[in-house]
Parts: sequence; C-alpha cells; structure tokens
Amino acid sequence: MLAQPGQQGGNNARLQIQGERQSGQDVRTQNALAVSAIANIVKTSLGPVGLDKMLVDDVGEVTVTNDGATILKLLEVEHPAAKILVELAELQDAEVGDGTTSVVILAAELLKRANELVKNQIHPTNIISGYRLAMREACKFIDAHMAIKTETLGKETLINCAKTAMSSKIVGSDDDFFAQLVVDAMLSVKTISELNGNVLYPVQSINVLKAHGKSARESCLLNGYALNLARAAQGMPRRVQQAKIACLDMNLMKARMMMGVQVLVSDPKELEKIREREFDITSERIKMILAAGANVILTTKGIDDTALKYFVEAGAIACRRVPKDDLKRIAKSTGATVIVSMADMEGNETFDPSALGYAEEVVEERVADDNMVMVKGSKLARATTMLLRGANDYMLDEMDRAIHDSLCVVKRVLESGKVVAGGGAVEAALSVFLENFATTLGSREQLAIGEFANSALVLPKTLAVNAAKDATELIAALRAFHYKAQTSPDCKHMAQFGLDLVEGKVRNNVEAGVLEPSMSKVKMIQFATEAAITILRIDDLIRLQPSQDDQE
Amino acid sequence: MQLPVTVLNASTKRDTGKKAQLGNITAAKAVADIIRTTLGPRSMLKMLLDANGGIILTNDGNAILREIDVSHPAAKSMIQLSRTQDEEVGDGTTSVIILAGELLHMAEPLLAKNLHPTVICKGYARGLEDAVKIVEGMSFPIDINDRSQMLKVVNSCIATKFTHRFGTLMAELALDAVQTVQVDIGSGLKDIDIKNYAKVEKIPGGTIEDCRVLKGVMFNKDVVVPGRMRRKIMNPRILLLDCPLEYKKGENQTNVEITKEEDWAALLKAEEESIRRQCDQIISFKPDVVVTEKGLSDLAAHFFTKAGISAIRRLRKTDNNRIARACGATIVNRTEEIRESDIGTGAGLFEVVQIADEFFTFIVDCKEPKACTVLLRGASRDILNEVERNLVDAMGVARNICIDPRLVPGGGACEMAVSRGLSDRASSMQGTESWAYKAAGQALEVIPRTLTQNCGANVIRTLTKLRARHADEPGCSWGINGDTGEVVDMKELGIWEPLAVKLQTIKTSIDSAKMLLRIDDIVSGISKKSSVPKPGKQGAEVEDENVDSERMINE
Repeated sequence: MLAQPGQQGGNNARLQIQGERQSGQDVRTQNALAVSAIANIVKTSLGPVGLDKMLVDDVGEVTVTNDGATILKLLEVEHPAAKILVELAELQDAEVGDGTTSVVILAAELLKRANELVKNQIHPTNIISGYRLAMREACKFIDAHMAIKTETLGKETLINCAKTAMSSKIVGSDDDFFAQLVVDAMLSVKTISELNGNVLYPVQSINVLKAHGKSARESCLLNGYALNLARAAQGMPRRVQQAKIACLDMNLMKARMMMGVQVLVSDPKELEKIREREFDITSERIKMILAAGANVILTTKGIDDTALKYFVEAGAIACRRVPKDDLKRIAKSTGATVIVSMADMEGNETFDPSALGYAEEVVEERVADDNMVMVKGSKLARATTMLLRGANDYMLDEMDRAIHDSLCVVKRVLESGKVVAGGGAVEAALSVFLENFATTLGSREQLAIGEFANSALVLPKTLAVNAAKDATELIAALRAFHYKAQTSPDCKHMAQFGLDLVEGKVRNNVEAGVLEPSMSKVKMIQFATEAAITILRIDDLIRLQPSQDDQE
Repeated sequence: MQLPVTVLNASTKRDTGKKAQLGNITAAKAVADIIRTTLGPRSMLKMLLDANGGIILTNDGNAILREIDVSHPAAKSMIQLSRTQDEEVGDGTTSVIILAGELLHMAEPLLAKNLHPTVICKGYARGLEDAVKIVEGMSFPIDINDRSQMLKVVNSCIATKFTHRFGTLMAELALDAVQTVQVDIGSGLKDIDIKNYAKVEKIPGGTIEDCRVLKGVMFNKDVVVPGRMRRKIMNPRILLLDCPLEYKKGENQTNVEITKEEDWAALLKAEEESIRRQCDQIISFKPDVVVTEKGLSDLAAHFFTKAGISAIRRLRKTDNNRIARACGATIVNRTEEIRESDIGTGAGLFEVVQIADEFFTFIVDCKEPKACTVLLRGASRDILNEVERNLVDAMGVARNICIDPRLVPGGGACEMAVSRGLSDRASSMQGTESWAYKAAGQALEVIPRTLTQNCGANVIRTLTKLRARHADEPGCSWGINGDTGEVVDMKELGIWEPLAVKLQTIKTSIDSAKMLLRIDDIVSGISKKSSVPKPGKQGAEVEDENVDSERMINE
C-alpha cells in the first residue's frame, strides 16, 4: 500500500485517532466521486427507454427492477457519502413515491459541479447559499409558470400522468391498460377526511395482490377487498349474500388464562368442570356473535377446530389468521368495528350488532391455484383490490413497484391538482430561467446558481442518452424553445415543450400527454439540493477502526 | 487528484450493458436446451439424481426444472415460468420454456443490430396481442358431455408422455376423476377442485392396467383393533370426527393436589368416565364406522369393539374431507353435538384390504361421490411417480376443457398459423417495431421445428413444406405428426389442445421474454447485513482510499 502524499498524515499522528482521517479537498473530491458512481448505476434506468437491473443477493434471490430506490436499497453501498444518496432516494420514495432515480441523478450532478467550483477557490458556504437561492427560485418558477391546473385538462390528465409514471417500467408497453386500471383504482378509494373535509386518496386502501399465471394484461381490479386465504372449513358455504361481517381481534380457541396462572384443584370433580367450562366460554361467544346476525366472521387469531362446527351449521364463513392490516381495512370499508374483547361494562359478555359491517357479498373464489375470500360491494366502498397477474414472481414484484409508483403519482395529481410537462421540459425551462436569474446577481452566488442551472440539464441529457439520441443537439433545441417561451410573451405555450424520446424530436409534451405532478418535481429539486448541500458541507472524514480487542 | 473510491461492497460482481443482455439470453437458451428433447410424442425421459440420492424419471418440463439447481438469475426466472404454467393450467410446461428461450434467441440479432430493447419489448407486446387474437380465431368449442370426443382430446394432450403406450387408460382415469369432482356452484360456474378432492394414491406392485378411479376414497390405514373389528361392511353408516377420543388435559394449567386415596381413584375414574361418555354418545347413533383425525385410546377402542363398530384413527384432515364429500357426512368436532344428519350413508362398501404388506381402507361404491381417489399400480415407485405426474397433467387438461371447452389444433399447427399471421401483418407495419413483431412470429416456429427434430425427420424440408401449406391457406390446421415427422392435417389426425393451455403458453413466454430483455445490469453477490467484513481481505480494499499508512492492517 502506498502512503498518499498529503498533510493528513501529520495531523493524525498528533491527534492519535484510532482510525483514518481525511480532510479538505480530498474528502470533497472523494464524496463527489462516490456520489457520481451511485448516480451512474441508476442512470440507465431513467426514462421511457431506460432499462432494468437485475440484482442477485448472496443466497441467490433475484430482484428485477427499474425503481431507483429499490436498486439502491438492494445494493450494499459502503461509502458514507453515497449512503446519504441512498437515503435520499428512500426519502423521495416515501414522500412522493416516484422520481427516485431523477433525484439521485440530480443530486450527484449538483455535487459534482459544486466540487468544481470549490476547486476554483469558491468557498462551499457561498455555493450552498447560491444553491439554496436557486432552489427557492426554481420552485417558485415551477409554481408560477410551469404548473397547469388539472381542471383545465380533465380525466385524461390522470391517465396521462399514470402513463408517464409507468412508461419507464415493465408495464410500460401496456400503459393504456394499466393507466386506466391505476386511475380507476385511485378514484374508487376517494375519501373525505372527517377532520377538515379535505379529499384524500389513501394509497394503502388499494390492496395489491400478486398471483402468477395468465399474462400481465389479465390483471384486474376487483370490486372489493380480497383476502389471500381460504375459509376455515370446507363445509362452509362458498358464497354468502348480504354479508354481515364481524371483525374480531381475539382468539376463538379454548379459553385460557393469561400469564400462566396455575389453578390448584382439591376436588377432582372440579377439574372436569374446568375442562367443560374452557370450551363452553368459546362456544358461548360464538353463539353470541352468530345470534347478533353475523354470517361472516374474520379473526386475526385462531379458531379452534372444534368451534368451526357452529359456523358450518349456521352457514357462515369464518376465516382465521387474517392479517391485522387486512382486517383493519375491511373493517374500515364495511363499517365494522374491530372487536378486541366482548366484555361490557357490567362484566358480562355481549356482542353488539352495530359492530357488524355490511357487504353485499362475501365469496371464496379460485384465482390461479389459490383460493381467495372476496368481500364485495361493501357499504362504504373505500377499499379496492388490484390483482396483478404475470409470468413469474420477479415480474410480479416489479409490476407491484411500478403500480405503486403510478398510484402515488395519480394521488399527487388528484390531491395537489397541478401538473407539469414531462420529458425534461421543466428542467430545460429551469436551466434557462436560472441562467438569466444568475446574471442579475452581482455576488459570488452567481456562479453557484449558474452551475445549478447547468445541473438541471442532466435529466433531459440522460433521457436522450438512454434513448441513444443526439443529446447535445436535442438539448440545444429544447433550450431554444424555452428561451423563446420566457422572453417573448406570444410564445408562452412553448414552455410545454419537452423531448420525444422515440422520435428524437422536441414536441409539446402536454399535448402528447407526458405529464408529471408538479409536486413531485418540486420535491425532487428540494430533496436533491438539500442532499447535495449536506454532502458539500463535509470537509473532514474520520473513520474509526474497530477497537483492537474485538479482533483478537 | 484521483483516489480510488470503493462505493459498493467489493464482493459484488457487476455485469452491465450488452454483456448482461447476452448473458441472460445465453442462460435462457441453456435452460431451454435442457428440456428441448422432451417435447412431442417422440420425447425422451430424463433421469435426475436429487441431493438425497433419489431418482426421478420424467419428461415433465416442470418436474425436470424443479430439480435442477441453476445459479444464473435469468435461468432461475425461466424455471419459475414452468411452475407458473403448471399451477395455472397443468400442461405445456415444456413448450413455455422452449418458446421463451426462442423468443430471447430471436432478440439476439435484433440487439446486435442496435435495436433498443424497449422497442423489441413493444414489438413483442403487439405480437402477443395479435397472436392471442389469431389463436382465439382458430379455436372451436366441443361438447364436454361427449365422452369419446373428450377422451380423444385428453389423449392427444398426454400423447407425449410415458404412459401413452398404455392407450387411453390415463385419459379415461383423468376424465373420470375430473367428472367426479366437478360441482356446479350455480350461475353457470363450475368448480373443479382437483387438488383437494381427487387424490392420487400409489401402490407399487401389480400392473399399470390395474389403475382405476374409485367411486369413493381409499387411504393407507387399518382399523384400530385388527381381527376384532369388522373389515367389511356393506352400506356402512360412517361417522367422521376431528376430536380425540382420549382424555385430554385442559388448556389452563391445572394442578391437583391429592391428599386422599379415594380422590386418586376418583380422578382416574373421571378420566375413564369422560371417554365412556363420549363413546356412549357415539354408539347411540349406531354408526358402523368411526373415523377420527386425532388419537383414539385403547379404552375407546374397547367400547367400539364391544358395540361392533370399526374405528380408524389419525387420519389426515384432507383425507377426512374427502370422505365427508364422498359419503355425504359432516365432520363432527364434539361428540355431544352429533346429529343424525352428520352421519354419512352414501357409501356402498367399507372394506379393509391387504395389498402386498400393507392394509388399505376402501370406502367405495358411493352414490354420489363428489370426491375420489385414483389408485395407481405399477412396477416400481419411480414409474409410479412418473405415472402420477402424467395423470396430474391429464387431469389439468380435462379440467381446462370442462371449464373452457374450446380447442385449437395441436402438433405445431396453431403456432405455424400464428407465425404466418404475424409475418403477414409485419410487412404492413411501420417503424422498427415491425422487426421485433416479426421475430415474435418466427420464434413460434420453434414448436413445430422441435417436434420435427425430436422425431428425426428432415427439419428444413418438413418445415418449408409446412410453411408453404400455411401460406396457401392461412389459418389452416396443418401441422407435424410427431410420430412420423410428416406434414398432416391435424383435423384428420385428431390432435387437439385446449385453448387455455395454448394461450397461457404464449402469454407467459412473451411476458417473461420482455422482462429479461429489459435488463441491462446484473449485480450479484450482495451480501446480507450479517456478514461482517473480514479485516484481512476487506480491509485491503478500504485501505486503498486511506492516506495514513501507519494504521494499515497487515494483509
């Protein structure tokens, strides 16, 4: 190993740190390099002509994906600065759900350019304040000039947004079909918040089930909520009309004392009675539930085999070991209350019929090789199931991720009501706008903002490169359009121009239906800038060695 | 300043771009090549030795691929395809792999021409859309009540299998079994649950001709007290239980402190009493046979023997369900709650028979058996296993036809027609997609080609002849006779396949080919969090970026 020439060696000797230390320009360059390396990994998956990655872990489990956040999560990133980017992608995934690849690429580009500036003797804090300013201006600009209210575009917009989100994914070739599916699913779970009357579209109300077999196109929306389990006993009916659903979160096994209580019995006859009573408690409970009119019983815990008979006789469907999340959602959609205990205030056990939920039909259906219990036509219809079909598990997992992204996008559009043109339109506009804005400033920030403007171009550039088009020419043409749009008032519509990656031309992307929610763009710029700033502020890296005792 | 930076874990291996794409294609082709020879009536068996030293003899695509251990991720993905196919339709597991392999193979020259993978995917997707239309256009329905016609179809589907030489036997078994378990669930829907209600039992010995579908259920159990309980009962009254007939402790932890001797006796008596009470309750319904899924104590056995009831214990839940369905009984969980309606009276004969060394219980001659056991006999376990796999395939086919009674011609005729249709349409298409579209069509030719290859005919001559046929007469049903390698009309030969199987094959293979084509980066060997980096090797990698040489760890 070669010792690197530098000033750090001396530092270390004096400080007596059990580890290595790097500072100054070295650490900045290294961080920039590491971050670019990460960006390079996900670069090829950006855009409608981006490709997928196949990730294999050490046990041989395979994941095929196009989602930036998933790729980075599965890659074991070691470099500390690079880890910040991985977290950034996860943050974007959690906050917006889409644009995880773009945010990483943008952050890496910002950092790379900042590093160049630092090399030219501009202090990082100047750059940081420049970036902050640029970010604020950019967000303002998007809101004021780029965003289009969805009311003016109609339902078509939603479908187009969903299509744009999934264009880069495995379902991209069937985008007409899936976009419709996603939009329908999202619209069906519309809820109005009880707190402030806001209209909400909760993504988690959409239950995405995966079953292999058939082809991707046979994926469908199921009216109602599907549970991926079978009814508890074969003797139960397959179909219950006018279902009254009891959602239980308690055990219907033989009653048993908690905490390992020991009962000491002196009279042997008592023992027999205890045994009898144990079972009778459960059987009384069940009878009470059935007497309340329930004909579908779902519980998160077990049901004793012995107890099943009552349900069979009553012609009711009972399901045991229903996942708790599923149960909560069913309760929400059917208006049922999840019952944790049947005890009432008087110390007796009762079952209140008002805790029952209602659905038109509960039916067990065979899907592929599995049986599923479907809750259909529920009273409040707030849950939907999307059943994905596909050739194998890898494909289904990837479809699930793609659908999730699109759902998030549609949700954002519905909730924020604003969209922007996709295909690099916003980024190109920003670069033109910020460049002009930079020249109005007479301070050192001017340079930083100029670099910010250039960084924004990395997204359209990457898109063009992935499509094997002439990036330089296309970007120049695109920028020319946006310059016109911002300078001459009669060319305003040109702000909607973006790249057409199939033909390699510049076109009006709003008309072509390439749309993204404006919120996702704004968030992307904010997150990327913040991440770049975080890394930029670092000027010292100390890596401690594990203490010597552990190694011996 | 250029410092080496390790961003990723150094133990990972990365393939990118063309290398990854070609790697995937090669892996997929390799998988397809393994089972290529098992397609068609002249197919060969494979012998597989599994990790435990067991032998598997089969020509079932899924069974072969399930056993082999592949390391390439793309190959793994291929193997899953045949599993999907098996679960969904139960047949065509070989074709789906061969087709997917060929689709990827056809994409190779397109990639070499620098066609973008997403364009190829789009072309394939459109190809799939049109292929489905063409296949559906060729299909025609059959009457599922016409037994001879149904037999013919099932037979032609399993013609590729080992059991084919036993004539229509397998087809008859499959058809009988499927028709037995078929239940109308109203609104024109049929439910055919082979998995739960048609059980295949294998008993080595005898000949394959002895295989039959029982009008009832059979399982490998003997009565509890051989010799003292009756082994043959006509028109038995059957009671099914899933509770133990022995003393069971309560759920709560109860301790009894005995201070007096009488108490001890009382306790023992209580246990005895509880069994006696249960037995009395059962006996009061006068069943001839009592079957329980749980244990049955000696004492209970004694009571039953006295009452002249034959008892069987520790039966599997699934078997019990089948008996319940076959003889119309309800499984009872608590002896207090037995009702007359719970007793099954549908069976005509209860009999325990010794076959070879073991005793088997038959509950047969049921009036309305909605569940059945298929009894397979054969020379050895290996053969029986293969016969079972064939039978499961055949039942899958029969089920598919019962649910969707539409057929398409087999023997590669259907594929050829689609291939022809696609290449016709391709010439009128615009853009680079048409190349991929055409390639999808050409890939389908692999099925007739492999059929010809496997029976040793002249591939080029036969295939050109077939192509010419289809060119003259688009959508005709000419295909390859897999035995002779001649080009014949499938209508005359009577080779049909269910539409469901064919569609599923095409859909699955194109979908998966699309997925594999989209991959341009393979990262393998991502280690889990638990693997702590070793100071020796791992350390060296980290050191690269360290400036301080004093703190270096010796390698």
